[in-house]
Amino acid sequence: MTGYQFPSQDSDPLYHFNVSALGAPAVSRLGWSVYSSKKPIMSANEIERATERLTIPMPEMIFGNNYIVVAHKSGWSLGFNAIDALDLVAKHGNPQGGLVKVAYSDAWMNDKKKSSGEVHQVVKPFDWTYTTSYQGTPASSLVSFERTSETIPLGRLRRPDPILFFDDVVLFEDELGDNGITIVSVKIRVMEERLFLLCRFFMRVDDVLFRIRDTRLFIEFADNKILREYTVKQDSYENVKRKIRHSAGDLGLYLRDANWVAEQLPVVETFTETSTIPVIN
Amino acid sequence: MSDLDKAIGLLKDCQIIPEDQVRDLCARAQELLIEERNVQVVDAPVTICGDIHGQFHDLITLFEHGGQCPDTNYLFLGDFVDRGFYSLESFLLLLCLKVRYPDRITLIRGNHESRQITTVYGFYDECIRKYGSANVWRYCCDVFDYLALGALVGGPGGVFCVHGGLSPAVKSLDQIRLIDRKQEVPHEGAMCDLLWSDPDDIDGWGVSPRGAGYLFGADKVKEFNHNNDLSLIARAHQLVMEGYKEMFDGEIVTVWSAPNYCYRCGNVAAILTIDDKLTRTYEVFEAAPQESKGMPAKKPAADYFL
Repeated sequence: MTGYQFPSQDSDPLYHFNVSALGAPAVSRLGWSVYSSKKPIMSANEIERATERLTIPMPEMIFGNNYIVVAHKSGWSLGFNAIDALDLVAKHGNPQGGLVKVAYSDAWMNDKKKSSGEVHQVVKPFDWTYTTSYQGTPASSLVSFERTSETIPLGRLRRPDPILFFDDVVLFEDELGDNGITIVSVKIRVMEERLFLLCRFFMRVDDVLFRIRDTRLFIEFADNKILREYTVKQDSYENVKRKIRHSAGDLGLYLRDANWVAEQLPVVETFTETSTIPVIN
Repeated sequence: MSDLDKAIGLLKDCQIIPEDQVRDLCARAQELLIEERNVQVVDAPVTICGDIHGQFHDLITLFEHGGQCPDTNYLFLGDFVDRGFYSLESFLLLLCLKVRYPDRITLIRGNHESRQITTVYGFYDECIRKYGSANVWRYCCDVFDYLALGALVGGPGGVFCVHGGLSPAVKSLDQIRLIDRKQEVPHEGAMCDLLWSDPDDIDGWGVSPRGAGYLFGADKVKEFNHNNDLSLIARAHQLVMEGYKEMFDGEIVTVWSAPNYCYRCGNVAAILTIDDKLTRTYEVFEAAPQESKGMPAKKPAADYFL
């Protein structure tokens, strides 16, 4: 019995973090525990089941058995896994309106019309960039978030406090048919007094668009303060490319560096929420 | 010992060879490849290999499993470069073997054997880093333009080998033979489709949701095999956890030969041997241990990310 069960039946919930079955935590501090799992990409059978369940083709590299779960002994927990992240991808759509297209799509389509009598339709259109607004999977109805005007205290996170536990787990990655990249990964660091997690969706469609969607989770152990911040950033490929200094040599190094790109993209939307742990009787 | 054998020895130790030797090697390879047909005819038995992607140490492991060239006759389905850390050593070793044993190894073109793709996905950067200029990258790209687009193994009832898949512009192998292949991979047309398309559970042809590129269904595979007297299409291009995946009643197979792809996927790799009775034998192998090849450690380095 593993703690994270991949859904096998339609009747199963899409996600299932059973914290009590996750085994030993990677680290525990003052009632808080962190669990993490890093496994190979999913097998052909698992991919088939996931595809049926989610009704969209799976990304090329799908780490469906990876997760990071942050749990409190009260039953509060927030986990991160690929399947739930993918469930929030737009599963339908119109390539002529709304969905992103690769840079040479129009030229390709026009050439096709000219050169062959047959007109071929886009099959099963969906958001192939796998853009997701995923902010984690709550354990149960015990977990709810509400907006707050508070912000994550970055000052405390900048201090070089010793890191008791660190992990960096990829949930999924797709090379977009060699037209760029989408990668969703989760990083966590646990210090003596607090923990900090970043779940980042990073997308580059070559010559078209950059997107970042960051979910940050901050927990202060002493007072069980929980803050979650969600930030959407986006800009055109051209605008980002222009920000590279002309003297900087290789463009690719910059355009592949999610951290550098994150500093260049304007914020489209951001908000912070808070959550409280249930009272233990 | 000839210069070529010396170069093979160096490359097998994962060492690069001097720039002027690369230039000569590429020139000799071009002379050979220009004589090859778009659909190279290859005798069975042959061992078919999928994507390598610069995973040099895994390529060495592949040869340990499949047998050394020229003892084993090899056919590589393209995507030698990009992604991995040793695209140069991998491609130059294969090219040396091609020049040394032209009848015992066949290299066909993948979608990564292109100027445009290699500038984005690593091979160009690697050439600059290891040689200090783009010359070696240019020599290699000139070779890419001469690589065959496909291969036919075993005559009637045989195996058609291609990197990506089928094209609606191609009904017969003869139509592939008419393509002028000596150019950069175009964005459209038969040559592009052969290197880029994917099989899918659809009827007929479909355009990828990305807005460019083809998907093809079981009916198209069966029609193509029937019309061209083939029993199998062997292609690569897509990562498979199990190393290979047969589809459509075994009429098409994806072969993937880069284990633990990008040093983190945890997948196994496979090679496919077709014997003279056209029997298929898959050999599955795992990645070389990471610590033995100077790869980044599995444990991520802690950082004070914000």
